Amino acid sequence: MNIDDPRLDRLLDAAAAEYRVPEAPPLDAIWDRIDAELAVRPIVAARRWSAVHWLATGGAIAAALILGVFIGRRSAPTAPAVTVAALAPAAPAVPSTDPYQRATDELLGRSAVLLASLSPDAKHVGPGVGALVADQGVQLLNTTRLLLDSPVGTEPRMRALLEDLELVLAQVTRLRDNDPPDDLLLIHDALDQHDIVPRIRSAVARNALRYN
Amino acid sequence: MLIPVKAPVASLGDDERSLIARVVAGDRTAARVLYDAHAARVHRLAYRICRDPGLADDLTQDVFVQVFRKLETFRGDSSFSTWLHRVTVTTCLNTLRKVNRHASRERELDESHHGFAVPAESDGGDLRQALTQAIDGLPDPLRVPLVMYHLEGFSHGEIGEALGIAEGTSKRRVFDARARLRVALAEHQEAP
Repeated sequence: MNIDDPRLDRLLDAAAAEYRVPEAPPLDAIWDRIDAELAVRPIVAARRWSAVHWLATGGAIAAALILGVFIGRRSAPTAPAVTVAALAPAAPAVPSTDPYQRATDELLGRSAVLLASLSPDAKHVGPGVGALVADQGVQLLNTTRLLLDSPVGTEPRMRALLEDLELVLAQVTRLRDNDPPDDLLLIHDALDQHDIVPRIRSAVARNALRYN
Repeated sequence: MLIPVKAPVASLGDDERSLIARVVAGDRTAARVLYDAHAARVHRLAYRICRDPGLADDLTQDVFVQVFRKLETFRGDSSFSTWLHRVTVTTCLNTLRKVNRHASRERELDESHHGFAVPAESDGGDLRQALTQAIDGLPDPLRVPLVMYHLEGFSHGEIGEALGIAEGTSKRRVFDARARLRVALAEHQEAP
């Protein structure tokens, strides 16, 4: 027997009162935990990044990326391969031209630049910016997911970074023009909670050393 | 030092804006008033999305701590409750993604357009019980908009805003969810 729309509506109306209604949630106990957190870090002391702080962080990211590129170029193999082999015969040779690694480096660099462009102090997401950022976010998110399923994702530390980056990029893809600043703050909270930007810097530096 | 907070809930009639200003100024009694006004619905929404009572408790805590810390940035472009529920949904979905990351990656919308049967244990049960199980059996991208629209009374615009999808996408997902529920309930009724 078919369930027609009016009947389904009646069932859903009833479900509004019945579907997974928590039995006496411990709201007082939850408040006690919230209050304890607020006591440790009072609301008035909540941190907002100043433009100077943000510029300094953005500058540090840019400097780390430039340093990574510089180290990479300086230490690119210029001598014949046989010399390298003679110096480190037992080392597992992982070519710096590994396409996965190149894709990872590019992803991390582009992600760092994108995340640095999202100022938490903006009054709202600027016109035309939300769509642009979201579009880039979608591309980076797709690459992140591909890399998670690639050999790169088998390295535990890199996998953890990519998984956290995936969550943040998923939020970035939801940005729209003129979004209120709350959405940006949610993204920055996620960045802060997981130390994503410093971990990107470390990963870029690690990769530069490992493959050179 | 913790402020004793068996709160003066009677001041719920306070203008919300002034209440928010008091919270931003560090008044935890005002924070408790704001909490009392919204906690039950936030908890219910969290529970309905994550379906785990313990996790719903934790999420409610996380949501309010986040909201209180960001309250100074709240400019009132939308109502406080709209903002609060958006934070709730975002927090719940992020947590769900983290908890079920591998499962959710495989559970894409396009993966299966076929219907699903209500689990066998519902056979012989009443239709409402079957409906609960059928809703639980929906994939999250369909279940969450359905729960928000039909059970929590959000508009498609609000759902779109909270989930980061277009209003039309919310409508389509609710439509698809209803179609799956109809199939599941019909199968339930036809079962011996």
